[in-house]
Amino acid sequence: MTAYIIRRLLFLIFVLFGVSVLIFGLLMTFSPERRAAVYVTTPQQAKDIPKLVKQYGLNDPVPIQYARWVKEVASGNLGWSLVAARPVAKAFWSYFPTTLELNLLASPLVIIVGIWLGTLAGVHRDTWIDHGTRIGAIVGWSLPTFLFALVLLMIFYGYYGLFPPGIISSDTSLWVINNPDKFTRYTGMYTIDGILNGHLWVTWDALNHLVLPVLTQVIVVVALLMRVMRSGMLEELSRDYVITAKAKGADAHTINIKHARKNALIPVITVAGQLVALSMEGSIAVEVVFSRQGMGWWLAHSATQLDMPVLMSVCMFIGVVFVLSNLIIDIMYAYIDPRIQLQ
Amino acid sequence: MAKLLETKNLVTNFYTYEGSVKALDNVSISIDHGETFGLVGESGCGKSVTVRSVMRIIQSPGVIEGGEVLYCDDAEHPEQCEDLLIKSEEAMRELRGDRISMIFQEPNAALNPVLTIGEQVAESYMFHRQRSMSRQILADVESGKISFGIFSPLLKWAYRRASENPRAPALRLMSKLPLLKLWGRPMRREAVNRSVGIIERLGISNAAELVTRYPHNLSGGMKQRIVIAIALACNPTLLIADEATSNLDVTIQAQILELLQDLKERRAISSVLLITHDLGVVAETCDRVGVMYAGILCEVADVKTLFNNPVHPYTRALLNSVPRFCVEGELATIEGSVPNLVHPPAGCRFHPRCKAASDICKQEKPKLVDLGNGHSVACHHIDEKIGE
Ligand SMILES: Nc1ncnc2c1ncn2[C@@H]1O[C@H](COP(=O)(O)OP(=O)(O)OP(=O)(O)O)[C@@H](O)[C@H]1O
Ligand SMILES: [Mg+2]
Repeated sequence: MTAYIIRRLLFLIFVLFGVSVLIFGLLMTFSPERRAAVYVTTPQQAKDIPKLVKQYGLNDPVPIQYARWVKEVASGNLGWSLVAARPVAKAFWSYFPTTLELNLLASPLVIIVGIWLGTLAGVHRDTWIDHGTRIGAIVGWSLPTFLFALVLLMIFYGYYGLFPPGIISSDTSLWVINNPDKFTRYTGMYTIDGILNGHLWVTWDALNHLVLPVLTQVIVVVALLMRVMRSGMLEELSRDYVITAKAKGADAHTINIKHARKNALIPVITVAGQLVALSMEGSIAVEVVFSRQGMGWWLAHSATQLDMPVLMSVCMFIGVVFVLSNLIIDIMYAYIDPRIQLQ
Repeated sequence: MAKLLETKNLVTNFYTYEGSVKALDNVSISIDHGETFGLVGESGCGKSVTVRSVMRIIQSPGVIEGGEVLYCDDAEHPEQCEDLLIKSEEAMRELRGDRISMIFQEPNAALNPVLTIGEQVAESYMFHRQRSMSRQILADVESGKISFGIFSPLLKWAYRRASENPRAPALRLMSKLPLLKLWGRPMRREAVNRSVGIIERLGISNAAELVTRYPHNLSGGMKQRIVIAIALACNPTLLIADEATSNLDVTIQAQILELLQDLKERRAISSVLLITHDLGVVAETCDRVGVMYAGILCEVADVKTLFNNPVHPYTRALLNSVPRFCVEGELATIEGSVPNLVHPPAGCRFHPRCKAASDICKQEKPKLVDLGNGHSVACHHIDEKIGE
């Protein structure tokens, strides 16, 4: 097991290499002047771009430039973000908590609701429960995320003035800035910081802003999980071991939950990787529509303004998240399916 | 002999996209206490559907459309029979695995791949033996054999309740609460202990270690023994073996048949309903035999009569298609193929393949006629056939 994990972590290095070469190749198609920004760390430097082109040899052959970039990254310099007007590394820590907060709330909901509804639909096949959840899934699956987010925003905020967009209301935000002695930003997530500082009204305010983004994220991602869970349940319920259990005298609940669902969860774990990808994709649209300054928002704005240092760093970060989440998925796989042994 | 199980005019259909599959058409068989009854017939003739209908474990899209399944548990009081088809689902659950249990055809598929052997065998006890297990745990606690420390009073209370009524609302609530739900643990341990016992009795030496393993670690023969252990756990009155040995090699097959015979002699089980393709097995182990063809019962008789004086043309053809050492001559095959049960032949379902078929066979379903001595045949031409 440990050997397996170490091997997978070594694999991470190759993934990062691949991702960086790919993105770097992309970067090379832009002019040297634009690329000079990768090496800028202070606002003053940003004015002397031509000097920087020469200084950093941005007209040199690509492999030499790549080696130089790796050296910079290795020494901790990720470059300057034009969008954030800050070094990338610093900006990362201000955007990341917002996205983490959204996904920390949405993911458990996706998992619980998806497994529960999928099981329900599978058990009550061809009843109104099944048809209802399936229609819901198709709608959630086929509507673009941003459209869904806009519709929700229009209905709740537009008509009823509930659940405003943004991360937190401006009054609260001002109060937090003006009272650094009363409110320490331990995690950067208002919901958790509010609890840690004992100001629950801040948490409440932040949660109010999170309702619609989380709802959108859950509805968009849950459809996939539900579909896989439902078909898994149908398949498992038709297997012979279900009849064995019935012949033993098992009740419906034992058959559905103890016997069939445990087996049906195995294919669900195989799509967990896709779920992570979907959540990331979902976060981009959700953060843009609800104007939440998180990773997705940052990435979207950086892409439109060709903020290359940000694109490079964020893509590398996504690579890390993917490899790590797949590692966790594999470990869970071995845990739930006794036939699998990690080696 | 007193009757144990009797099906009367059992009709089961499967509603598929191609149409309704008329899998059983008025099947009537009867099994006595202490008897081994063999059910034979070609693949797809409805043997499995018959026994699954008896236990009411037909999967959708199958529906039992009519008939009766009379079950008489008490040999002394044959008048106290109950119709299983009108029993509540809850009452049926109590019966399944306890009074009637089944061994399945395919040991690789019959066990749940993600549960340990111990868990799967223990379920039989957890479904049917909670009372007796609770009583035993209670006795052990009171005699000081086991102790739960400061939790003893609570657990004693719980097990006293459980030995009266395992489904008491208070206990059900406790099982849902965190920490308190641990009260059931000693019982689950006891169920696994009993599982080890039953597996050992089937001639497996390392049972204690075996119960911690998963099905994929076991050989086919071993898995089949586990499936048998599950079925035998509660000493059923009727054991249904649905081709229990078809997928095993000959030596293991012989061992398992011997085991069943042995269990019957020791009165662990009363009656056996044996489904098989192998007429040799039938000749060796069964008292009476029923022959099925395409969802109908053709002929029922005791083993000797059936092998020596078969009356139904299908039974005769079936017996002729089996190689025999002492009889020379060509092996007969039955011409034609098994009919499609969505549109079964009108009249006698065997008539398209029957050499003796006449006009009446094409129009009228033959009734099962009793020829005496428990020999019944469903054929329009009985009189001509008996003399042959
Ligand atoms: N799930 C199902 N859906 C549709 N038809 C079915 C289903 N199960 C059984 N049948 C029909 O019922 C008939 C009898 O099947 P059954 O399994 O009882 O045969 P069998 O005699 O046990 O055969 P085998 O020796 O192969 O086990 C088959 O012809 C089949 O068409
Ligand atoms: Mg069968």
